[in-house]
Amino acid sequence: MATQVSGDRTAQVRIHLKTRSSDIELPEDTGPILVSTELKRYQLSTLVNRLLETEKPIPLEFLINGQFLRTSIDEFLTQNGISAETTLSVEYVKALIPPLYVASY
Amino acid sequence: STHLEHQDETNVMSIEEARALWSEHEARTRNLAMILTEHLRLILQPTQATKMRGDFRTGKRLNIKRIIPYIASSYKRDKIWMRRSVPSKRSYQIMLAIDDSKSMAESDSRDLAFETLALVAKSMSMLEVGELSVVGFGEDVSVAHDFSTPFTSEAGAEVFRQFNFSQRRTNVRKLLAESIELFRTARLKAAGSASELWQLQLIISDGVCEDHPTIRQLVRQAHEERIMVVFVVVDAAAQKAQAIGGPKQSILDLQFASFINNELIMQKYLDTFPFKYYLVVRDVQELPAVLAGALRQWFAEVVETGG
Ligand SMILES: [Mg+2]
Repeated sequence: MATQVSGDRTAQVRIHLKTRSSDIELPEDTGPILVSTELKRYQLSTLVNRLLETEKPIPLEFLINGQFLRTSIDEFLTQNGISAETTLSVEYVKALIPPLYVASY
Repeated sequence: STHLEHQDETNVMSIEEARALWSEHEARTRNLAMILTEHLRLILQPTQATKMRGDFRTGKRLNIKRIIPYIASSYKRDKIWMRRSVPSKRSYQIMLAIDDSKSMAESDSRDLAFETLALVAKSMSMLEVGELSVVGFGEDVSVAHDFSTPFTSEAGAEVFRQFNFSQRRTNVRKLLAESIELFRTARLKAAGSASELWQLQLIISDGVCEDHPTIRQLVRQAHEERIMVVFVVVDAAAQKAQAIGGPKQSILDLQFASFINNELIMQKYLDTFPFKYYLVVRDVQELPAVLAGALRQWFAEVVETGG
């Protein structure tokens, strides 16, 4: 009876965004935000930039439990056996500018 | 049942523990239960005044629509008088659906859910107007107490034992689909005329659920089958966060971020909440008044639509 139909899985999770860099701290504590587990780094970066109200988007990287998010949140949760019932603590850091980008400057 | 599978994973409280927990919650909500019972008595019981049909004070009146068939049947179809109508005794089936998912434990909503359960169950049994059932939901739906069994303190303790707030999903869609089936079955088993039976579901949860469009459709279906669904959002985390000066945790502040055609849309979570009747409760003390308010509104609507 507990068997699950594929596609009938959890699609949303609450995240709590935080950072250790004071220059990119969220203006006010937003509290948890509900997001689709399909989100990847890029969308999360868009979200934080929106909350920061940045004029020029700052590329960001995300860490969950000390691991960089390289997949969708969904894949991350599955790989790490984390239930979407938990509010995920998501840390963001400025993405290191790729060397190629620096060279072209 | 599938519930046992969940229980294997975690500690199940002993019956002694469950009894102690039940009497603790029952004692804590005793006065509130009396207040709620009084509210409900006024709402749930049909008006005692008999309605006059027609404008004759004698209570007798010719039914004009019956006259022609009466004559046409050579005076055989002679049921041609109208009388005072006596209100029928309503009966109720009330289902308490308690969120057994892990987020309930995380948000400290467990105690508030148990208090709500003790309060509502106690009030309903004091009213003696109908049958009460309790279901748990999360990944699966399981019946913790069925309509046909009287709800006693021992039943309350047994119900408590079946919750451990560790289910890894919160499938409200499944809850609604299965509840509609349970209500259909219960309606068939109910004594008396089905038209006098009123069915109500109270969902007690932290309120975080997904797939709002499908849920909205199921809520509509329930209403069409004259099942009233009231969602009681227990917002325990809000109070705790406020007390310790922590970050906002209330469902009232929860934002929902989604991408539609690569465009970021931010909304208040509750703005898309699919339940027509929902209450946000931070303290069980608030419950009698807000619940009574919602039920009063429901009954007014049902009566108006001639349900
Ligand atoms: Mg949950």
